[in-house]
Amino acid sequence: MLPAIEPGDWLFVNPRVSNWPKPGSVVIFHEPDSGELAVKRVAAGPGEKVRFAAGYLTLADDEAWLTADASPGQTGRAGFGPPVDSNRFGPVPRSLLVGRVLFRYGPLRRVGRISSPDGPTGP
Amino acid sequence: MTVTTALARLLAPRTTARAHCDLPCGIYDPEQARIEAESCHRMIEKYNASDDPVFRDRALHNKEERAELVKHHLDVLWHDYFKPEHLEAVPNLHDLFWQASKQVSKVKASVDPADSKKLLDLIDEVDAAWKATGGPAKTRVSGRPS
Repeated sequence: MLPAIEPGDWLFVNPRVSNWPKPGSVVIFHEPDSGELAVKRVAAGPGEKVRFAAGYLTLADDEAWLTADASPGQTGRAGFGPPVDSNRFGPVPRSLLVGRVLFRYGPLRRVGRISSPDGPTGP
Repeated sequence: MTVTTALARLLAPRTTARAHCDLPCGIYDPEQARIEAESCHRMIEKYNASDDPVFRDRALHNKEERAELVKHHLDVLWHDYFKPEHLEAVPNLHDLFWQASKQVSKVKASVDPADSKKLLDLIDEVDAAWKATGGPAKTRVSGRPS
């Protein structure tokens, strides 16, 4: 999730969310395949249409499409494989949502809001 | 212990969330999918050549297991090996994988050798795409054994 979130960031999370927050929000959730706790950005919410492979799919009324900020090209140039996100594990149901990231409270030099994938200001 | 250290310990997160990427081995070859698809083709031939219902059941079971492996190997190639920049060399890449994946599903439910032959042909097209994007040199330790 670089540059918005760096390894070691301390994130303040609101676990009292009743539904998927709006696209652009950063969320903590359990990955569908592994059950691991993960952090990604909401790219599309319930009922929205998303591009996938050579076509489109429509999300169910409890699903979101979660993506990494980095493209496969960027992670590839950094020596890693493609990001593990909805392009890999598909739509994520509401039951796997843990909370919404509100801001970063550590380390001190990085305290503040979570930037958008395109720049320093964001949701 | 200073107040700052104590405060930091108190506020430190108790849980870690990951934002990970794959760390793949980097070894890819459509031959893996091809071998499993050949097994499907051969199982269909054996099924059609036999009158033994138990043998035929086993052939079907074997075919469906192998077809699942074909799908897995195609998915790994599609998601992990091929990158957006490869679309320049192979503009029909997504359509090719979509057709191949659909054909695997057809082979799972079919005992017609024409269906498994078509799957082999599609995997050969994937193989050509892999070669056109430098696969043999980039993703095998010493190229593909001849």
